[in-house]
Amino acid sequence: MSSVFEPEVVEVMDFSKADRSTETQLSAEEKREIDAEFSHYEDKASVGLEALRIVQKHRGWISDQSLQAVSDYLDIPSAQLEGVATFFQLIFRQPVGKEVILFCKSASCWIMGCARLQARIEQKLQIAPGQTSGDGIFTLLETPCLGDCDKAPVMMVGEEMHRNLTEQSIDEIIDNKKRRHADESTD
Amino acid sequence: MPTITIDGDDYEVEEGQNLLSTCLSLGIDLPYFCWHPAMGSVGACRQCAVIEYKDAEDHRGRLVMSCMTPIKDGGLYSVTAEQAREFRGSIIEDLMTNHPHDCPVCEEGGECHLQDMTEMTGHTNRRYRGTKRTHRNQYLGPFINHEMNRCIACYRCTRFYRDYAGGTDLQALGRNNQVYFGRQQEGVLENGFSGNLVEVCPTGVFTDKTFSKHYVRKWDLQTAPSICEHCAVGCNTAPGAREGWDGKDQMLRRVINLYHREINGYFLCDRGRFGYDYVNCDARLKAVLAARTDTLIESTAARGERIHGEIPPREAVERLAQTLAQAQKGQRRLIGIGSPRASLENNFALRQLVGPDNFYAGLAERDLHLLHLVDAIQRDPRIHSPTTPEIESADAILILGEDISNTAPRVGLAVRQAARNRQRRQARELKIPQWQDASVRQLDGDPSPIAVAGFEDSGLDDIASSRFHGTPEEIAAFGHALAQLIAGKQPAEVSPEYLEMAQQISETLSASERPLVISGCGCRSGEILQAAAQLATALADRNSNPCALYLTCLEVNSLGLAQLCTDGKKALDHLPGALRTEGEAKNPSSVIVLENELCRRVDTATADEIFSLADELIVLDLLHNLTTRRADLVFPAAATVESQGTVINSNGLAQCFYAVYEGPGFIQESWRWLADAAAFCPESNALISTIADWKHCHDLNQAIAEAFPELEVVAELGPDEDFRIDGLEVARQSHRYSGRTAIYADKSVAEHKPVKDPDAPLVFSMEGIQDPDKSPLQANIWSPGWNSNQALHKFLQGIGGKRRCGNGGRKIQRASRSLPDWKPAVQPAGEAEGFLLLPIYRMFGSGELSAMAPAIASVIAQPFVLINRHDAKRLDIDAGDPLEITVGGDRCQLIAEISDSIPFGSLGVPYGFPQVEPLGTEAPARGQLHLLQLETGGDQ
Repeated sequence: MSSVFEPEVVEVMDFSKADRSTETQLSAEEKREIDAEFSHYEDKASVGLEALRIVQKHRGWISDQSLQAVSDYLDIPSAQLEGVATFFQLIFRQPVGKEVILFCKSASCWIMGCARLQARIEQKLQIAPGQTSGDGIFTLLETPCLGDCDKAPVMMVGEEMHRNLTEQSIDEIIDNKKRRHADESTD
Repeated sequence: MPTITIDGDDYEVEEGQNLLSTCLSLGIDLPYFCWHPAMGSVGACRQCAVIEYKDAEDHRGRLVMSCMTPIKDGGLYSVTAEQAREFRGSIIEDLMTNHPHDCPVCEEGGECHLQDMTEMTGHTNRRYRGTKRTHRNQYLGPFINHEMNRCIACYRCTRFYRDYAGGTDLQALGRNNQVYFGRQQEGVLENGFSGNLVEVCPTGVFTDKTFSKHYVRKWDLQTAPSICEHCAVGCNTAPGAREGWDGKDQMLRRVINLYHREINGYFLCDRGRFGYDYVNCDARLKAVLAARTDTLIESTAARGERIHGEIPPREAVERLAQTLAQAQKGQRRLIGIGSPRASLENNFALRQLVGPDNFYAGLAERDLHLLHLVDAIQRDPRIHSPTTPEIESADAILILGEDISNTAPRVGLAVRQAARNRQRRQARELKIPQWQDASVRQLDGDPSPIAVAGFEDSGLDDIASSRFHGTPEEIAAFGHALAQLIAGKQPAEVSPEYLEMAQQISETLSASERPLVISGCGCRSGEILQAAAQLATALADRNSNPCALYLTCLEVNSLGLAQLCTDGKKALDHLPGALRTEGEAKNPSSVIVLENELCRRVDTATADEIFSLADELIVLDLLHNLTTRRADLVFPAAATVESQGTVINSNGLAQCFYAVYEGPGFIQESWRWLADAAAFCPESNALISTIADWKHCHDLNQAIAEAFPELEVVAELGPDEDFRIDGLEVARQSHRYSGRTAIYADKSVAEHKPVKDPDAPLVFSMEGIQDPDKSPLQANIWSPGWNSNQALHKFLQGIGGKRRCGNGGRKIQRASRSLPDWKPAVQPAGEAEGFLLLPIYRMFGSGELSAMAPAIASVIAQPFVLINRHDAKRLDIDAGDPLEITVGGDRCQLIAEISDSIPFGSLGVPYGFPQVEPLGTEAPARGQLHLLQLETGGDQ
């Protein structure tokens, strides 16, 4: 397992903190990170996407309140920011589970039988694409291509890439994740 | 001129254009969605594909999007080639997969660009049988309906709203098949040009909510060209009327834009588009009212309000005729009060009837003085009054004291386009065609310099390069300093902190090729107008070329009234004095008020004095108001859409509006009431019989031209009522106007003869000239296959050019006169008491008539008072606190609003807002501020 992205681009969601998803103010940490990012851009409107990613990293998803907080902080219209947030698939405007499964539906994965594997996930977690499992751990999203076609079928769970999937490996991945989250919650 | 070949035919075409606009201007039908004549091309919809051939040997060619293809000399193109037609067919089929096909219940139906383009493309068979994506719609306020399922994602709405009009709250959201055009949260669209979405959207996503309340199809509307009466810009409109549900009277259903290149182009402001509904409101006068002799009790009696009862029109006319007769015999004095919102004809008729010495302008002395100043300034040969395209091409702009976003919104929209001129110049240098909208907008050319000096934040602050906030004296001093700097002198009266800004602005204005100065009557300060004139003449002297100076007047015929009333003493402030001297002569006086609410013109004490000194008060007006409540006799006057007349806009352009329909009840033009009274007058003399002989609007136009040589053009504005084209009048109704034989069938099955229009060669029927190319009087813009307003290009001299058969409107020919060299007024050094009240305008609320339209009334802010943050802190006032302001003898209650821009020691008070009208009549003036204690309930 390895990340396909540069480490600083996708960072692990930080769930150790209390749920801050509907707070109307940005935290000092969020502001600091946005300011650091802003130094790379010409104007505030351009840093909107990065600011949303930073806030999502801290809060898990972007609520209306979070959107408004970013809009106020950067002084760009909330409608404009919403345009950005709803354009990018990886900005979540609804609560998601702790593990977001990005399931690849590209041609290669399709040839290699991803439909059967997807059915397996859906049956195992009792969710359809776009839904979150009852225990709040998994969200299943379909994605057009993860760019790893020679190892199809593939999917991402969080920032981890899983390749050459089989029904057995899917069971293992999900069970492992479940176990880990169960351990964390009993700690 | 380049020559191109389209489908084997050679055309000589204008250079630098794209292929789509070229095809359209040649009359070739080519379907499109995202292109708009005022907004250029983005190549988003792919609907306008054609084939371009490499050379004569190339028989295969390649598909190109015509809107993104610059024409080139010798270019070979095909619109009708099979591959191009097939491609366009597949595009529309794709667009239609998600379209709900709900035309029967869609208000766009019958004037829908999507319908037209679908028909034109030949997509008549629906193959897609799958489910369609559906959206939730948003509440967007009282003006606009939202039905997102109809969207074809052409992006025109956001391109207009955001890019053209500067709105920030409408965006493209989502992506792919789910693109959604809406707000972040439901709510009222904030931009004052949101109504244009109705016309810009090629389908029924955005429709007119006020029209929904009394909707009929476009082909069922009766139309005539009109002029918007809600400000002095003079935008051309095409109002539509149709019989109401209950009675058989016609009622006004909606207003849409009527293209006039020099004024409104393709767009109207929301006050103009949605303010029309006042003509249908409950306060509308439709019958003649006479005051009864019963006395009222309590508070209303104290203000002399009367109870009125309807009387037959004939009785009322005879009463007025008796008054006239007494006046002719010298037993009674007649005083006439004119109005800046009434036509030249109405004002002139009253002026003739009462005589010039007894004709008062219906304005406070200050306002009349401002109008005379505007008139005097515009007469200077060094001053040029710019048209909208000229404003849009200005390369440096100074706005001095006038809040044009609220007093002349359409001009504000033009200024917004001028902000992009440096960007456009950069595009020219890079050889990017101006119609390449997205490419030009992406250039980071600095915004063109626009300096704004005003009392508070303006709607143009987002494009302003420098801002100055001050009192009228400070703004005038700033203007004078600029004028001196431009003339190369050392400015005396500007504080050091603003000197740098003044130097910078004067350098920019001096260096620009097309500088523009904007000011107006809204600031209610003669010093500011003088400073603006000094500045413009200094620029003109420097460039040896007239300087563009736009001066806004506040009402539709303000400048026309100023032409008829040149004596600055004929203002309302002097009327009580005149009435009192009359009283000594023992002759009773009758005051005739023409379409004017005096309580909006002068303070309450002066208005009350006029009312109580007049022995008889006769009012002709559209709506019930404080003046009609005091009247002995009230005549129902015709609104703009119900009558014909001439108005003169801020630029001195005389324009004629035509009756769209006959006013209901006993409504008729004010001048007709006066002419009727003259006809019934038992005393006959030359004057009375001249007035009694006025039968047609044109008779008055001739009389005006004779009496006022400078207004000679009024007689030449349009054809008289006997004019015919091929023996026909111009039809107000479309070919498809329905129900003509059925509408009165419950009473009689015989077909009614249409009412004859005594004023214009227009007929209230479908028989007549329908072609907008044959007469400017045809306001129904329609061409076969083009049912939507996009048909307009069929009737223009090239895309964005003038209307082929000419727009109405002629400039009045004022004798030129050079201005004196105004010196800045010396400010009184005396200790000032209280706060300086400054007039603040709002698009919704400051207009008298539009405020009575229900949709607009629902969004008028509660009467506010803008208070500087430091003043508020000092006095311990929070936003929302109830305050009372006393000025002169008037006291008004308002809600505190904290402002960072209103000058220290000043208060911004709403001008013309319902309930607090007296404030507007006095500002700028010193007033006292009192904190009101909130009621604490009844527990003590």
